[in-house]
Amino acid sequence: MVVITTKKPVDEVINVLKDNNVRKVVLVSCGVCSALCQTGGEQGLEEWREILEKEGYEIVNGMVVDDVCDNREMAKVIRKNEADVQEADSIVTLSCGLGVQSTIQVLSKKYPEKRVFVTNNTEFMGMTERIGRFYMRCRGCGDCLLNETGGICPITTCAKSLMNGPCGGMVRGKCEVGNYERDCGWVLIYERLKELGRLDLFSKLRDPVDWSESGHQREVVWR
Amino acid sequence: MAEKKIYSKLGEMLANGEFILTGELEPEKTCDLSHTIQEAKEMAPYVVAANVTDSPLGIVTINSMAASHIIQKEAGLEVIWQLTVRDVNKLGIVGMIMGGHALGLRNVLSLTGDHPNLGDMPESKPVFDLDSATLIKLVREMVDSGKINGHEIEHPPTLHIGGAANPNADPMESEILKIGRKAKAGCEFIQTQVVYDLDRTIEFLTAIKKYNVPVLLGIFPMKSYAIAKGFDTFVPGVDVPKDILAKWKNIKTEFKDDKTEQKRMYDQANYEFFKPFITELKKKGLLAGVHCMAVHYPRIFPKLMEVIKA
Repeated sequence: MVVITTKKPVDEVINVLKDNNVRKVVLVSCGVCSALCQTGGEQGLEEWREILEKEGYEIVNGMVVDDVCDNREMAKVIRKNEADVQEADSIVTLSCGLGVQSTIQVLSKKYPEKRVFVTNNTEFMGMTERIGRFYMRCRGCGDCLLNETGGICPITTCAKSLMNGPCGGMVRGKCEVGNYERDCGWVLIYERLKELGRLDLFSKLRDPVDWSESGHQREVVWR
Repeated sequence: MAEKKIYSKLGEMLANGEFILTGELEPEKTCDLSHTIQEAKEMAPYVVAANVTDSPLGIVTINSMAASHIIQKEAGLEVIWQLTVRDVNKLGIVGMIMGGHALGLRNVLSLTGDHPNLGDMPESKPVFDLDSATLIKLVREMVDSGKINGHEIEHPPTLHIGGAANPNADPMESEILKIGRKAKAGCEFIQTQVVYDLDRTIEFLTAIKKYNVPVLLGIFPMKSYAIAKGFDTFVPGVDVPKDILAKWKNIKTEFKDDKTEQKRMYDQANYEFFKPFITELKKKGLLAGVHCMAVHYPRIFPKLMEVIKA
């Protein structure tokens, strides 16, 4: 699993930095997911170093960090690079939204005045077909249906996340959203369950998604 | 089996097994419904009730509950309130069902609704908290038990709830099984998507007969060649047969200088196409009636009535 990211337009990032009077920056580039998406890693770090230097920013330090999203890892990184962090006014992360928030959470305990910015947009939790082809196949709904739907997720493969599809927007197995180019998720489920001899599962009337646990801040805390 | 409760004229006629005709009204992006009311008045002598659409194709129009109420009140025509799950969550829909009843609405058609992405407000959040089957189940729960989520409703709503079916669906089997779900949810009547293919329609309606839900066949008499062509081009999954298009084109050219005769010819051509179509299905016992979706074409209703009464 990879958290799929794409690059924000450079101008958008530069404008944010200008708006916040940023001068001296530590760059933290994700070495895992964003590296795979080519929005972080060594390559991203060098790209952003060049961009920011050209724009007149001082790069105090730049590093590739595995698991920017892990508070423990970021705490270690900040401890090891204490002098650089003190000198910089901001940290710019080349990561997903988890990376930037993990950095803020760890950093703000000791350095509440330091600002953290991000160069990427977080798209989704993705399945990798190959580099440059990533697909959302799970939305982390918290109540997995895959055992009943032939291993195909209606929440992500149906454009309307219907529990009882297909809808009238299906034409010859394709979905009305996206100009009938993508497969209708519920037809995929139907075909798979037919193949498995389990159309009884397809015929089942399913209740709506229960949002009482998942419609707000979620956490998994077991110790 | 408990005696079926009747809440509307539509409910009554379906229960009596009378072969009926329903129509369709499509309010637009407006706060003034006078055109739609006029059209409703014109079709009122022929139809039992008329559907009032809910932002079809995701193109935003006046709210269908408000429009249904106004049309019913001003035109004296019973309505089938179309309600999609596209843009209101479960909480909102429960409130609307009570509100709809309070406004005098007694028939509701449960629809998924076209995705906002297709319409003129694609930036709008797609809701789809329920789906067309679970909306049916929810309405039946409110009506039959007088409760929602275990909570008493002081004055529960009394509405008949219907659903849609698409005989053109490919694959067809998944659509058939879906109708089974709707039937299980408590669907009281079905209105189909527009059909032109008789064999396919027979196959589909025969397959869903076991669910024992009365079916109103969706038809679209075409007012002109331009409308027939537009329907064929822009309505996904519905193909107007080539010979029909050719015939309509011929009427357009042949009678271009005599509009009155042209209209008469179009009406006659519709009659000639739909009469055997409907008669065949009726004879096979597959239909409870016909749902005519040709909006802005009220003059076709007298001709359609001849078919219905035949």
